[in-house]
Amino acid sequence: MIKLEIKLMKNILGANDEIAALNRKLFAERGVVVMNLMGSPGSGKTTLLEKTLVRLVDKIKIAVIEGDLFTAKDAERIERAGVEVIQINTAGGCHLDAAMIQKACTSLDLNAIDLLIVENVGNLVCPAEFDIGENFKAVVLSITEGDDKPLKYPLIFKESEVTLLNKIDLLPFTNFDLRSAREDLITLHPTIKIFETSCTGGTGLEDWCTWLLQKVAR
Amino acid sequence: MHEATLAENILNIALEAAKQNQAAKIFKIGLTLGEMAGVEVEALTLSFDVLKKNTPADGAELAIKRVPISAVCNKCGKIFQLESYNFFCPACDGILILQSGRELLVDFVDCE
Repeated sequence: MIKLEIKLMKNILGANDEIAALNRKLFAERGVVVMNLMGSPGSGKTTLLEKTLVRLVDKIKIAVIEGDLFTAKDAERIERAGVEVIQINTAGGCHLDAAMIQKACTSLDLNAIDLLIVENVGNLVCPAEFDIGENFKAVVLSITEGDDKPLKYPLIFKESEVTLLNKIDLLPFTNFDLRSAREDLITLHPTIKIFETSCTGGTGLEDWCTWLLQKVAR
Repeated sequence: MHEATLAENILNIALEAAKQNQAAKIFKIGLTLGEMAGVEVEALTLSFDVLKKNTPADGAELAIKRVPISAVCNKCGKIFQLESYNFFCPACDGILILQSGRELLVDFVDCE
């Protein structure tokens, strides 16, 4: 047998990235801004989404893609806010990929939407690695998770244009060091936008929604 | 655990390359993985070892080369190798732009 070394230099995620590029092109053609919303399980992504939708639903046309391991619980919550929602069950898969988004979009009328929000599977590691064709990524970090998370999971905070420090009302009851968390976020990602939010008290939601509206208007 | 997905992609890329070159057996797959690529090498190897069974890559090993994180300053243009995740330029007040460290590549496939 002849021994053979085949030179490849091929991107391991090349197949995903190709579909992501197609998604991105489609979104641009239809004038849809796409946000990939990420964060740990229990960080408050869905609640934040509910509160965001209530504030924006009269101003712009929004649709939501809900990534969930097995259930439709989140999708049901979002539907109550009066926006179109597509459920993707990953059946144990830890992240959404570009092909799943491509498929989900076939049942959406993209021409009728200004903003598409994709709520990714709760996870601080894997979703950061998979381009789905979004315009920008947002990561929710809740106060109870601890101030050390940005440096423990640097990729997701490096990839995200915006971080929401959520459940900020719980700050007095924890040892979360806000200054240290902000410092770590900024050294890791000097241009990152940071919001402090509380979905129970309403802190920061107005600023966050104003910022989001500006992203759509651009 | 996206390492299982990565391992599957690596295997498919290698099998496709072997097939195109009429090779029957793969014995080594060379990878380049950046230090900031978010890959747990142990989990990747474990997934790969499970997936490769009963394929032409059954006896294949992964040869992994890691790439350190390097970044270039957007102001003074100096290039730095980063030991920590500090993206402020140590030489001026510029911001460091990631240059390498995110690589996820199949470099080569050794087969016969």
